Amino acid sequence: MDLFVAIFAGTVIAATPLVFAALGELVVEKSGVLNLGIEGMMLMGAAIAFGAVVAGYSMPVAILAGGLAGAATSLLFGVLALTFLTNQYAAGLALAIFGSGVSAFLGRGFGSAPIDALDRIHIPGLSDIPLVGPMLFRFDPMVYLALAMFVAISWFLYRTKSGLVLRTIGESPQTAHAIGYPVIKIRYLAVLFGGLMAGLGGAYLSVAYTPLWVENMTAGKGWIALALVVFATWRPQRVLLGAWLFGGMTILQLQGQAIGLAVPSELLSALPYLATIVVLVIISQNRQMLALHFPASLAKPFRPAG
Amino acid sequence: MTDTTRRDFLKYSGALGAAAATGGFAGLAHAQEVLKVGVVYVSPVADIGWTKQHSLGAQAIKDAFGDKVEMTIIDNIFMPQDAERVFTQLASSGNKLIFGTSFSHGTPMQKVAPRFPDIAFEHCSGIVHLANLGTFEAKYYEGTFVAGAAAGHMTKSGKIGFIGGFPIPDIVGPANALLLGAQSVRPDTTCNVVFLNSWFDPGKEKEAANTLLSQGCDVICSMTDTATGVQTAGEGGAWSIGYASDMAAFGSGKQLTAFTLDWSRDYVEPAKAVAAGTWKPEVRWDGLAAGIVKMAPYNEQIPADVVAKLKQLETDIGSGKVHPYAGELKDQDGNVKVAAGSVLADPDIRGMNWFVAGMIGKLA
Repeated sequence: MDLFVAIFAGTVIAATPLVFAALGELVVEKSGVLNLGIEGMMLMGAAIAFGAVVAGYSMPVAILAGGLAGAATSLLFGVLALTFLTNQYAAGLALAIFGSGVSAFLGRGFGSAPIDALDRIHIPGLSDIPLVGPMLFRFDPMVYLALAMFVAISWFLYRTKSGLVLRTIGESPQTAHAIGYPVIKIRYLAVLFGGLMAGLGGAYLSVAYTPLWVENMTAGKGWIALALVVFATWRPQRVLLGAWLFGGMTILQLQGQAIGLAVPSELLSALPYLATIVVLVIISQNRQMLALHFPASLAKPFRPAG
Repeated sequence: MTDTTRRDFLKYSGALGAAAATGGFAGLAHAQEVLKVGVVYVSPVADIGWTKQHSLGAQAIKDAFGDKVEMTIIDNIFMPQDAERVFTQLASSGNKLIFGTSFSHGTPMQKVAPRFPDIAFEHCSGIVHLANLGTFEAKYYEGTFVAGAAAGHMTKSGKIGFIGGFPIPDIVGPANALLLGAQSVRPDTTCNVVFLNSWFDPGKEKEAANTLLSQGCDVICSMTDTATGVQTAGEGGAWSIGYASDMAAFGSGKQLTAFTLDWSRDYVEPAKAVAAGTWKPEVRWDGLAAGIVKMAPYNEQIPADVVAKLKQLETDIGSGKVHPYAGELKDQDGNVKVAAGSVLADPDIRGMNWFVAGMIGKLA
């Protein structure tokens, strides 16, 4: 039973950076903008948050700084893609490379100093319940923040007027513009929010998950988050599900290796990717639903007419 | 020491090439006085880890030669196509001795070396030798055997965990030696093995370490390029064994020891030979005896008599009295691979692709 708890808790924690980054990207894409630079924004968030802790700032300040660093990085993409209407694929890829380079440069000063990780919460009573306590009430605050963001984003997108406007802009920016909504401004806000979330995901890695800074420490998590949004067919619940599935399969394949499962480790390592793709493709069979959730103007530059 | 980034290097090397073409080799007379050495790192120089240890080797040349050496260091070159260009540039800009520090530098070095027969090339982790390409490598397994013995003394559960980058002989061999070292103290010890299939993924390494902890391992050894394994073990209250550098600062006081790499000799000797005009391509493969592999200070919580035994073991391995792969060795299926009284032959050590009995894990 301890093993089950360990696998469950490991899954939730492993999925958290992906939840942050992928939910952020979901909002960006729902506004009709494709930002491929998640990896770069996560790395900036990770570097800045770690640097803030090393510089002696408190944990909440450091994490916020990481989020803001991600947002600041995304602003660069915004200027290129939204103001100068460059190709969004190219601008996003450039951002990924830019973020990894700049974060490496900034990170040189931090060395590989060890820091104390973000503390886990302990609610007297609740955290001590057998089984349920370690499974639900013993994570660090960022895990709960990620879940709160999931609820907030789902509610915002589908239950508020602003969310409707955002989705409209993702479907048909011309229409939204004609009605009088500031398309570019709202897209900017979405891009900044995506950057903030990616930065938080990166900060989670460097100050809570593996509390150290090393160059390119995200090791591809930004790209996985990007893929999750597509495979989740732009629906928040499925993004969350996909992230958990991916995290869970990662933990399970490691457990499988460690008990000496008679499967080559190379194959087991591929399992999280395979399983996530297969499951999300299967649940996305309904083409009508797919068309309904896909932002029709995704990655198409918008120039207000007149 | 000229600390050049790859971008700077590419920028200036174009100008250098043009200068060389127009101005002839006016620098040659100067070059006879001052030895020019090029070093290529696979990753940036961090405070710990593989490349850090190589940077100490490069520093040893600087210390030995003072102003009689001019060093060009290019970091973060992993891809073979980048490496080939960088090695060519280094060779055409007057360097007389060029170091490659990663297995992935092998193919590019084998291509570039024949085109510059007067330049000495030295390749760490290399397996191919040419008329002007020598190699050097460490006997990691001697270090893991001693570390394993420390683990065998300290483990309560009798289960140790090993995290490897890839299932290749350079990792599989030391993992085997780790368990054999532990079994030399406590014969019923087993070792759970997890491969990340990546040299570098701190997140996955953390998950791997937690996985091993959840399966009851109370000593973790991680042969990757970060301190995550040592750090995670410490957080979980388990012992750890560091690799390449002393990682004690990350281990919450729980690092038993680390098998560290000191390449100074492998850098300074070729440099001196090149300066004296006596350089020959050699195969350097050494461990504890030559000081290439060194054990980091033992944890204070290890009893003094155990530390004394471990130090004796270091000496005995160095002198050849104890061989980590001495028979009888059986594989996971119980087949005898090394008969009692004999030891595993050197080529078989460098090509080890099987697990010894007691390893829990699967090789393809």
